Amino acid sequence: MFSITVNDEGIVVLTGRFDASQTDSAREVLSGLRDSAVVDFRDLDYISSAGLGVLLATQQRLKKEGKAIKLTHMNRMVRDVFKIARFDLIFEIE
Amino acid sequence: MMRREFAREMASLDAVFEFLHRFAAKERLDPQAAYALDLAVEEFFTNIVKYGKGSAGGVLVEADRTGGTVTVRLEEETPVPFDVTRQTATQFDTPFVERKPGGLGIHIAREMLDGLTYDYVDGTSRITLTKHLEP
Repeated sequence: MFSITVNDEGIVVLTGRFDASQTDSAREVLSGLRDSAVVDFRDLDYISSAGLGVLLATQQRLKKEGKAIKLTHMNRMVRDVFKIARFDLIFEIE
Repeated sequence: MMRREFAREMASLDAVFEFLHRFAAKERLDPQAAYALDLAVEEFFTNIVKYGKGSAGGVLVEADRTGGTVTVRLEEETPVPFDVTRQTATQFDTPFVERKPGGLGIHIAREMLDGLTYDYVDGTSRITLTKHLEP
């Protein structure tokens, strides 16, 4: 189960498990971002390299326009995956 | 030991996870070990689906625990050996704007596991993942 939504405050909220079968729905939402945004990982239990790839492409697109996504509230295991991938050097993680 | 054959398609991924989660519950794996197995099996299962050469049959997944070590095997019948565990160069030295995710999943899986091997014998391709559990 995975969901990606943008709430009333413009925060992107990820829920559930972001695996290789969920990349299309994530791309659809993230490609709509035109400005810097916060992505809330509070309710995300799992992310794999497929999910990282979608976030990387989003960050690359936004950075070209001087904007960025910031990631918040990761659980420890998800944070470990970001560190192993060295994505903690690419994203601001709160 | 648990084993099940899955259709060689991305739509099998949910069933693969369900199988792994039943195994994790049965063996009372810690969350870190269960996460590592999910991530590694997802990586190699999807690579088999995407890059398997000339193979039509399913993918057999076996999971077993011996003492403090968990072993998961992915097996497929295939006419051509193709090592999907080979790590393409990760692009840590590439400028961020040019970086692509290729090779990333294998790098993460290797870091989270304690062992990863590939062998090909008599038309069977086999990936073996091992993970030592916290005492």
